[in-house]
Amino acid sequence: MPKEVMRREAADNVYLHKDFHGAMSGGIQYVHDRYGEEAVREYLRQFAEAYHAPLKEEIRQRGLVALAEYTEKIYNIESGEIEIEPYKDEMILRVAACPAVMHMREHGYPVADLWVETTRTVNEQLVEGTPFAFELVEYEEETGRSVQRFYRRGT
Amino acid sequence: MISCTEFIPAYSELFKFLEKQGGKEEVVRYWEYISDNFLDNLRGLVEEHGLRGCWLYWSHTLNEEAADFTMELDEEAGEFSIIMHYCPSKGRLNELEYMEPYEDYCGHCDVLYRRVLEPLGLECIADLSESDEARCSFVVRDSDVS
Repeated sequence: MPKEVMRREAADNVYLHKDFHGAMSGGIQYVHDRYGEEAVREYLRQFAEAYHAPLKEEIRQRGLVALAEYTEKIYNIESGEIEIEPYKDEMILRVAACPAVMHMREHGYPVADLWVETTRTVNEQLVEGTPFAFELVEYEEETGRSVQRFYRRGT
Repeated sequence: MISCTEFIPAYSELFKFLEKQGGKEEVVRYWEYISDNFLDNLRGLVEEHGLRGCWLYWSHTLNEEAADFTMELDEEAGEFSIIMHYCPSKGRLNELEYMEPYEDYCGHCDVLYRRVLEPLGLECIADLSESDEARCSFVVRDSDVS
């Protein structure tokens, strides 16, 4: 058999490796099993504070419209079905089914016991230090269907 | 939701978190845990197809990760190689200039794959000397063939 060669450039493919959801889930379960529930939240707060620093600043400057734009972008990439009701002081996000949970269920990846914290803790930390707060109103573990509410503190 | 396109910075922060808990040892322990528990697909492909299993495994993952790479399989010479011209993971971390990547972020690849392939009788040679610029290479040799 002659030598086989595959040459690819980044532009040849779309960056969408959904198995990373399974790897994320495995990491969360590892931290949970080894260090406990609060460690999972501590890790996710550390991630959100570092990664979302520019988005947090956008939210401070432009309000919930910045969050709505970001949310539409990532759910569009993941082909997730969502509805957003953005208002000046409140944003309701309805997620029909979490694309990450659905991918893991379809491909046999275990969903971490505290997977919900990738939404709750990350979003809480995202708006920490801004005029807004976060509430996870509804969450269904099997599909990740959720209703999420961001609102101006004190309203 | 953390999008799969945001996984790499989350992974990097996980390594930092684990190092705070138990030092580098704890990070390596986690990498070994991933290798033992989440790479059955690579292990199975190599058990079934030999070196070609590496080709089949990375054909899937490197394309989904939109990597800039050259991959070669020479079964007569018993060698498989990946030349990573621009790693999508390290590249993304470098592009997030406001974040500091975990200092040995690229070390996980060597640990993960070596731990699967060496027990199957394959030799692994990783060159991470240019990993700060998102470039590296990984060669797998089957000494029974060459």
